[in-house]
Amino acid sequence: MSLTNAQRQKLLLFPVYVALTAAGIFTLIPFAWLVCAAFKTNADIFAFNFLPLGDGFLGVDWGRLTLLNFFRLFRELGIGVALTNSIFLAATSALLATFCCSLAGYALAKFRFAGRGLVMSLVLAALVVPGSLLLAPGYKLLYDLGLLNSFAGLILPGLTPAFGVFLFRQAMVNAVPATLIESARIDGAGEFRIYFTIVLPLVRPMIGAYLMITFLGTWNNFIGPQIVLQDPQSFPLSVAINQLRGLYGTDYGLIMSGTLVSIAPVLALFLLLQKEFIAGLTSGAVKG
Amino acid sequence: MSAPASASAPAAPLAVRRYRAEPAWVPWVFLAPFLLTFGVFLIWPLVQSVVLACQQTFGPKSTAWVGFANFSFLLHDPLFWKAVRNTALFAAGSVFLQLPVSLGLALLLNRPGLRGRTIFRLIFFAPSLVGLVFVGLLFSLIFAPRTGLVNTVLNDFFPAFDPEFPWLQVYVMPALILAALWLYAGFNMVYFLAALQGVPEELMEAAALDGAGAWHRFRHIVLPEILPVGTFVVLMSLLGSLQLFELPYILLNGPGADNRGLTIVMYLYDNGFVTGDLGYASAVGWVLALVMGSFAFAQRWFNKRQEES
Amino acid sequence: MSAPSRLRAFFAVTTPAVWVLLALALGAAGLIAARPGARSTGMSHWLFAKGHVAVYTPVFAKWNAEQPTEATRIESLLIDGPALERRMLSAFMSGTPVADIVETERSMACRAFTGPLEDVGFVDLTDLLKAEGLMDKINAPSFAPWTSRGRIFGLPHDVHPVMLAYRADLVEAAGIDLSKVETWAEFFQAMRPLMADGDGDGRPDRYLLNFWPNNRDLMELLLLQAGGGLFDADERVAIATERNAFVLANLATWCAGPGRVTVDAPDFTAAGNTLRLRGVVVAALMPDWLAGIWKLDMPDLGGKLRLMPLPAWEKGGRRTSVVGGTMLGITKASKDFETAWALAKRLYLDPEVHAAFFKRTTIIPPFKSSWEHPAFAAPDPFFGGQPSGTLFISQAADVPMRPASPYNLPALARVNEVLIALAERAAREGISDPEVLLPDARARLAGAQQRVEKMISRNVFLRETPPAR
Repeated sequence: MSLTNAQRQKLLLFPVYVALTAAGIFTLIPFAWLVCAAFKTNADIFAFNFLPLGDGFLGVDWGRLTLLNFFRLFRELGIGVALTNSIFLAATSALLATFCCSLAGYALAKFRFAGRGLVMSLVLAALVVPGSLLLAPGYKLLYDLGLLNSFAGLILPGLTPAFGVFLFRQAMVNAVPATLIESARIDGAGEFRIYFTIVLPLVRPMIGAYLMITFLGTWNNFIGPQIVLQDPQSFPLSVAINQLRGLYGTDYGLIMSGTLVSIAPVLALFLLLQKEFIAGLTSGAVKG
Repeated sequence: MSAPASASAPAAPLAVRRYRAEPAWVPWVFLAPFLLTFGVFLIWPLVQSVVLACQQTFGPKSTAWVGFANFSFLLHDPLFWKAVRNTALFAAGSVFLQLPVSLGLALLLNRPGLRGRTIFRLIFFAPSLVGLVFVGLLFSLIFAPRTGLVNTVLNDFFPAFDPEFPWLQVYVMPALILAALWLYAGFNMVYFLAALQGVPEELMEAAALDGAGAWHRFRHIVLPEILPVGTFVVLMSLLGSLQLFELPYILLNGPGADNRGLTIVMYLYDNGFVTGDLGYASAVGWVLALVMGSFAFAQRWFNKRQEES
Repeated sequence: MSAPSRLRAFFAVTTPAVWVLLALALGAAGLIAARPGARSTGMSHWLFAKGHVAVYTPVFAKWNAEQPTEATRIESLLIDGPALERRMLSAFMSGTPVADIVETERSMACRAFTGPLEDVGFVDLTDLLKAEGLMDKINAPSFAPWTSRGRIFGLPHDVHPVMLAYRADLVEAAGIDLSKVETWAEFFQAMRPLMADGDGDGRPDRYLLNFWPNNRDLMELLLLQAGGGLFDADERVAIATERNAFVLANLATWCAGPGRVTVDAPDFTAAGNTLRLRGVVVAALMPDWLAGIWKLDMPDLGGKLRLMPLPAWEKGGRRTSVVGGTMLGITKASKDFETAWALAKRLYLDPEVHAAFFKRTTIIPPFKSSWEHPAFAAPDPFFGGQPSGTLFISQAADVPMRPASPYNLPALARVNEVLIALAERAAREGISDPEVLLPDARARLAGAQQRVEKMISRNVFLRETPPAR
């Protein structure tokens, strides 16, 4: 009886596997197309949907694949400069934002002080201000501050997003016991020492998640650098690859390899952080 | 609250000596970066945008006061309403197509005894890591007539399918909604999956023993449990859809033929940063903010009513 | 605690991602800091057309060799068109860095004319052009796109006359004689046999012309050819005209309904080029600049094409038109106007540069005395030995005027919406007779005119500075 039950269970799961696999294939096809195109010549991109067919291993003519697109991308078009800019912008923004948001979140979660309610409602109010409302006046502000065409003009406005403050407060309210902080104070630990050695380790998953959120957001930001930066030397990949399309629009292989270069680092970082990222992402919605 | 006690309570001298109150300046130091950036990069631009919305500008330098003219022109501009219509269509597509797919995937992944859950979740989630810019680049080639992946494959399987099928010329919104489905279905699935984890298993088993059908169990046990997350996800995808810009902008290289891919934020961008009228752009921004604010308000109201009942 | 375990404890305080990102941020910052400070002290030049680079490179090299100091040497930078537009406008509006001389396209340049006349970021060249006698030496229609409120803000680069290029191999194989063709109606009539469905897929194998309702530039080209357009000579909106209605009603039946003869093969796209190489497109509206681009992008078409004057709308009508256009402007931000002006003249007024330019790009100059240069009479193998230069030059005087307005793009978009609506109706109702569409075209154009007028009336900057006429 128990055997048939297990078998029945398996049988019931079979259509689930089929559905999931089909959905998985649909999800992966654009990636596969992208990766294949990046390694093909333009003629082969039009001739074959995926890998060039031939009589090599698995019926694929591997010899027709080429690294030329990447070579041109880095050597002739200097996309390495944009890659460096993207890494710098995204990593710096992620670290600074995570640091500043966790500080503010800690203050709101674990300190009682006059004005805390006011600050908390400011945070909640800031959550609903749409970014596009701030585009025009933000541009004027950066102009007034002389920050147009500089990295600072992109990093500073995103130093402490209200969303991050909110997430860290939510995480710390439960994860950091007040007694632990009090006893550390009794032991004579300084406030910053408490924050670094006690509070931060306790919200480690949230740190991983928020790093990923801000890294991803900055890396994929297009409208910001498009408006603020004017010097091609400082363009991140999002802007640089799109401009590549203007000048080399007919060169699909080049565009595809550029797109691949742009999304591969993010996928790598995600693999490193995926557990924490997904947990952190949902904590705001599920708990809040 | 501990300060007066330490001054006048001789009964507990030991505790008072050892207990160090949190210094009043500490939270303010910790909050300083937030308060500073909040004031400079949020409050001040918001105040500015009210002023700007009543001006016509040519870049930040040349400005002229026009009062409410921006708003009255905006509300009478058929192009703006076209942008509203397109954006609303996209939002509807997101909510009514993408979210059910997300929920479906989550329900499938949540089946007890399923193996390979992590790898499936990873695959479905992966597209949402790709920025809208890059999705736009990728799909502009995927949807290309005659040479794009979609048309060549459909034409291979169904020779009657027109290989010139004009996704990016005529069927812009379906193309955008499909691209967004690929991009976001896995992202929203993660939220539903987390919520489904909160559905008590005993309850499901008990219902199954009572002979409750799958739909009945979903309707009466699963749905109430995931409703708060559900409304949150609906709100998030509504707010995201309303701010749609990069995807059509890159996919169509602008608003597209007959402005079929024009969205509210693209309308704002074109006016503010191409023709240089930051004032008009601010007016558009305020209208958008009001719409988004009312959606957020509606969600809160709905959730509150649910909790009360 | 021992030192290593202390270290381990230090790193274990938080997720390893922090340290990975920290290393990345520091590494990237180091690389960025190590970049050579590229800001040169000399002059700078921006351009958006890839094909121009090879022509200018030797001119600039020669110039730079002549200069005694760094200050007057020039550096040229190729930028994607929309990016150049954005950087240029950002510079004019917000004072971000900009080149001394900027080569810009018609649709980008007119954006700079949106604000007050004194805020136009280009130096007003009107008086200088008159003083140096250049107005008469340059083909008159070439100034129009760079003129706002009566002032000229750039030196024109080109004339851009339009001819028709057709696949002679396909036309001859079908035994078609185009030598008697004078009008569009005759052209489509003669070419009809090429639209047969040879492969039996229910669709014609070939289409007669590259045109599609959403292609605004080609639509404007055909409107201008017919004597229609968007603005009159005083920069007033002139959309709702009988001529425009006539042309749009005809164009709608070209690309939709039972009489469809055109196909969508957009230029600058791999998809469009594939259609051309496969012979799906038999003929194309061919400005001189596009000929140069085809030579580069589709060398396989070499020898298969021939040029002929555009078929006219009526017998005896205009056999050419104009599309695109480039100018060289000197920015007000330039430190050294004199040098910039000398450079501009070197680039744009030298017959040898014109000849080199033609050889590279097939573009003919607006400078009339250069047309005598033998380079323009040379047989062009891409067009089966026809002298493409002479052919384009023979059309130059007939090129229509097109007044500039900062509202050129919105106006074009509104008119284009009319065409799309008409084409959709033609497709839906199976209309092949333009007469049927004519009342609809008139009504829609009247609506478009009203919308553009309303938009312009909103601009207080233009109102403050009435045309200086």
